[in-house]
Amino acid sequence: MKKLKSVAELEALRKKAQKQTGGDRTFVTVSGGTCGQARGSVSVLDAVRSEIKNRKLENRVKVRASGCLGFCEREPIVAVYPQGVFYPSVKPEDAPRIVADTVVGGKAIEELLYVDPVSNQKATSDGEILFYSKQQRHILGNNGLIEPTSILDYLGIGGYAALAKVLSGMTPEEVIDTIKQSGLRGRGGGGFPTGVKWETCRNAEGDIHYVVCNADEGDPGAYMDRSLLEGNPHSVLEGMIIGAYAIGASEGYIYVRQEYPLACENFGIALDQAREFGLLGKNILGSGFDFDVKVSRGGGAFVCGESTALMASIEGKPGEPRAKHVHTVEKGLWDRPTNLNNVETWANVPLIINKGWEWYSKIGTEKSKGTKIFSLVGKVNNTGLVEIPMGMTLREIVYDIGGGIKADKRFKAVQTGGPSGGVVPESLLDLPVDFERLVEAGSMMGSGGMIVMDEGNCMVDIAKYFINFLKEESCGKCTPCREGLTQMHKILAAITDGKGKLEDIALLEDLSWTIGNGSLCQLGATAPNPVLSTLRYFKSEYETHIKDRRCPAGVCRALVRYRIEEEKCTGCALCAKQCPEQVISGEPKKTYRIDESKCIKCGICFDVCKFDAVVVE
Amino acid sequence: MGKLIIDGIETEAAPSKTVLEVARELGIKIPTLCSHPSLPPYGSCRICVVEAIWKGRSKLHTACTFPAWEGEIRTDSEPVRRLRRNILELMLAEAPEAEDIRALAREFGVEQTRFPVREEKENKKCIMCGLCVRVCQDVVGFAAIGFENRGYRREIAAPFREPSDACTACGACSFVCPTGAIDRRLFAKVEPKPIPSEFDQGTTSRPCIYTPFPQAVPNKPVIDTRNCVYFKNGNCQVCAKVCVPRAVDYEQQDEVLEEEVGAIVVATGFDLFDMKTYGSYGLHRHPDVMSGLDFERLLSASGPTKGEVRRPSDGKVPKRVIFVKCAGSRDAEQGMPYCSKVCCMYSAKHAILYKHRVPDGEALVFYIDVRTAGKDFEEFYKRATDEGVNYVRGKVSKVFRRGDKMVVWGSDTISGRKLEVEADLVVLATAMVPDRSALELARMLKIQHNAHGFFTEAHPKLRPVETATAGFYLAGAAQGPKDIPETVAQASAAASKVLELFSRKELTHDPNVAAVDEDLCSGCGICVDVCPYKARELIERKDGKGWVIKVTEVLCEGCGACSAACPVGACQQANLKDKQIEQMARAGLQD
Repeated sequence: MKKLKSVAELEALRKKAQKQTGGDRTFVTVSGGTCGQARGSVSVLDAVRSEIKNRKLENRVKVRASGCLGFCEREPIVAVYPQGVFYPSVKPEDAPRIVADTVVGGKAIEELLYVDPVSNQKATSDGEILFYSKQQRHILGNNGLIEPTSILDYLGIGGYAALAKVLSGMTPEEVIDTIKQSGLRGRGGGGFPTGVKWETCRNAEGDIHYVVCNADEGDPGAYMDRSLLEGNPHSVLEGMIIGAYAIGASEGYIYVRQEYPLACENFGIALDQAREFGLLGKNILGSGFDFDVKVSRGGGAFVCGESTALMASIEGKPGEPRAKHVHTVEKGLWDRPTNLNNVETWANVPLIINKGWEWYSKIGTEKSKGTKIFSLVGKVNNTGLVEIPMGMTLREIVYDIGGGIKADKRFKAVQTGGPSGGVVPESLLDLPVDFERLVEAGSMMGSGGMIVMDEGNCMVDIAKYFINFLKEESCGKCTPCREGLTQMHKILAAITDGKGKLEDIALLEDLSWTIGNGSLCQLGATAPNPVLSTLRYFKSEYETHIKDRRCPAGVCRALVRYRIEEEKCTGCALCAKQCPEQVISGEPKKTYRIDESKCIKCGICFDVCKFDAVVVE
Repeated sequence: MGKLIIDGIETEAAPSKTVLEVARELGIKIPTLCSHPSLPPYGSCRICVVEAIWKGRSKLHTACTFPAWEGEIRTDSEPVRRLRRNILELMLAEAPEAEDIRALAREFGVEQTRFPVREEKENKKCIMCGLCVRVCQDVVGFAAIGFENRGYRREIAAPFREPSDACTACGACSFVCPTGAIDRRLFAKVEPKPIPSEFDQGTTSRPCIYTPFPQAVPNKPVIDTRNCVYFKNGNCQVCAKVCVPRAVDYEQQDEVLEEEVGAIVVATGFDLFDMKTYGSYGLHRHPDVMSGLDFERLLSASGPTKGEVRRPSDGKVPKRVIFVKCAGSRDAEQGMPYCSKVCCMYSAKHAILYKHRVPDGEALVFYIDVRTAGKDFEEFYKRATDEGVNYVRGKVSKVFRRGDKMVVWGSDTISGRKLEVEADLVVLATAMVPDRSALELARMLKIQHNAHGFFTEAHPKLRPVETATAGFYLAGAAQGPKDIPETVAQASAAASKVLELFSRKELTHDPNVAAVDEDLCSGCGICVDVCPYKARELIERKDGKGWVIKVTEVLCEGCGACSAACPVGACQQANLKDKQIEQMARAGLQD
């Protein structure tokens, strides 16, 4: 491939690509992000490919190994175009039928179609599925239309058109102005206005400016950045090139964690292709603008997602934050002006340039514009990546898109913003999700983790889980974070172990204040949020643990008691036989009793009792 | 530039400085642990937290990192004190054995911590401030230690937890550690090599930048360039960073100063006899055998033990000390034939001072004679014996170690018995010898000296402070063993002799100087080489035909070396020509 020397050459190539891939041509998409591969998408892909080969259809039907389609609950997914027939949870043995009936025959296979868990309605295409139809998949939607390792696919769906537009007539100031007008705010969690950040960085003094992509996604249960890098790496790269042009940077870095091998691989391929096509390197598309990106692989420390720690890590130093009184846009990487944005933020940039800020700013709420990708996980029926316009209520997300709570249990809370965020209780289900409202509720947007919890979740246990995560991930540089979280975890562990004291609650509050006000970086400053928000909305659960030595959700093992209700027990002795500790005694046909002093609380008796006579207290 | 108000004191905002720096300039005390003037701000301990108020909003920041922007700073408000108290409580749980943290906590009214001790942490004194790691990496440039693990598992460690060659045991980490948490043996393969203090006779160590001794002239520090880290690898420069007047200059070189002077007083002092020939006395072999000068430092309040008498081997207070006099003096075979003159009195002084410091201790002095020729000297000696110092007349033949005692073999010539005495410490009154630099100086200045190297005066009775060479004077032990009063007297005399010389309009000189018979002089120049006073030079004859000798009469001391060397008899001493000597001899013989 010869390097593209002008925008005209790029457009010519795009036409060619569209001819090859677009239009009425038949193609089969097999989703295959890391999540899909874990559920067997590779063997499904192989089965589809070999079936196509057997039928000698290689030249007519293209098989695409796409990135993640977002519907993790139903991976691996096979979609057949142009009809758009959507098959969830496909097994390799389904492949011959799909090829025979749908690809060749053009008909949907009824029994393989998606069935809505609530309405029991069958859906032929993704548009008919509530999980998808409620979303606005401007960023994530392209994952299904392209093969991430193919730059031609990306060109075919209009890729690099934004870059072409920028290079063929927009000044850097105009680009910055467009981003400012769009109202785009950082998707990494802070929500700082992206255009303002670019402008400050552009105006900062320094011989060299850098742009950096933060792909150090570390929140438990959040994986939208991985999905974007795996499924559509060029969109992120295109955003970075445009940003570099606007800021006046000629060097860029992407800091991506080593635990994302597929993301590293696909983004690396995208970089090679972009260089080959002249979209990176010297004199991009004949514009005189130079830019290239280096990949810096992180070791997987949560703290390296913090801007100064991330930059220290790129510099080869230990990933520890420093005081940020002077911002990184002024003194960042090697003390030079550095603009750091998150993967999703970069991916929004081409969209805004292509469709205009006027269009973009119509999406969302007054202060939070555009869409936001959330990873909806936990106790909902439809787990997956969801892209919604800012301002959608939690209720819509959980009940419409998420399909409600699993096993018809009662909703309890949703944790947003990852470990540094907080829980939002049932009373706030109608809260519109945007940056400000989540902060008001004591949580935050974070990078977009959304963990749904039901009545079976103990909030003290949840706080303990997140504080443990933060304790393990604290870099250890400053005392309040290192020592405060360690002590906080000890207190929470004591409470869940039934050794809590009433004054522990005040101590937790005092510690939260100390960590929040005394820590060096934002990770420390926000670390008490899980404790503060659970105390704010679920204080009585703490008190029950401490005063009554009881865990209402039945999670904290030390506080759980198993008891046999005499009136229900038939004396079948099943529980006594199964008890590994032999601590259930009694006479057959009469009632049995559990010796609580010796019970290890394994719960086997509870599970095996056919008469619901074993109860948890 | 806006105003910065710290605790009500108004000052100029100075964004290039930190709040900590500005506060300290204003005399406001802010506690710090992880801050050190040689290192950039780090902000890990958080103890220096202050409250910053800007546009009505209050926020806590660390003073060591926060720029001195305009606004208001409160260093002692309730939120500040609360945060400091809580951090100190966390530190007490983290480092329960750190006494300095306990003391700081008390200052903030924290006696107890509400948190359980972090049992799993290995180092119970370390608060993870990182100063040691940073000083090793950024100042000394070795990077021999680092943080191991992250978060609450953090410990300070050498790579792979093995002492490494990278660590030179320089001690910088221990020096900066605010809690005394460093165990050097975990990092270094080598033992630290302290630089012996010259002034303390090697009994203590000194840093690489040091004032040579108290009341040095000038009383200013010098850099030991052989050991200084900066001169080794270009790092450190801490002394320059902490010096407020910026007086440290690494570019300074030793220089030779040339001065024109009218007179020179030679006062080179003395050294101690090296005692190599007295191997049986064990000096330099057993730490508990020392010279009188070592013992003098041991008694000094500025000495290695701050004046407490403790023996070097184990730091114990010696219960019996034996003083051996004439160690090298009055011994023509192994040492010096002369009496060192000062030892009798200083040994008496040492014995008395020892008895004062250790009242239940025993002082025993071996002597040949007790020489107390001096004002009040005999009375002083009497006081020593009255205060319980035991004197034994006899020489010591051997000193050796047995267990933790030193054993002295000697004789008691009064009772005629051989003695074996155990002692905890042995002090040798070693002989006084000329300073090692004296001989070279003597050659340079052409001053005569005796067989032992002591400078010779022009006349022992009539000119005791002058040398045979005009303009050179003597003072102190350079001339011979002397105590302080004698030295001061002689120095005063030398000074008045110099003043006498300077007060004259004309210099007088002995008329007995060399002259040249120009008719006989062949200009061979032999006499120029033999003249010890550089009083002769070859010049061109007035008629330009050949060379002739010229004598600078003021330099000539009339020694006659030139007369003896001249092959043609052209060198004759004025008033002492051959003929004149002949006639003098004749006249003398006629009587």
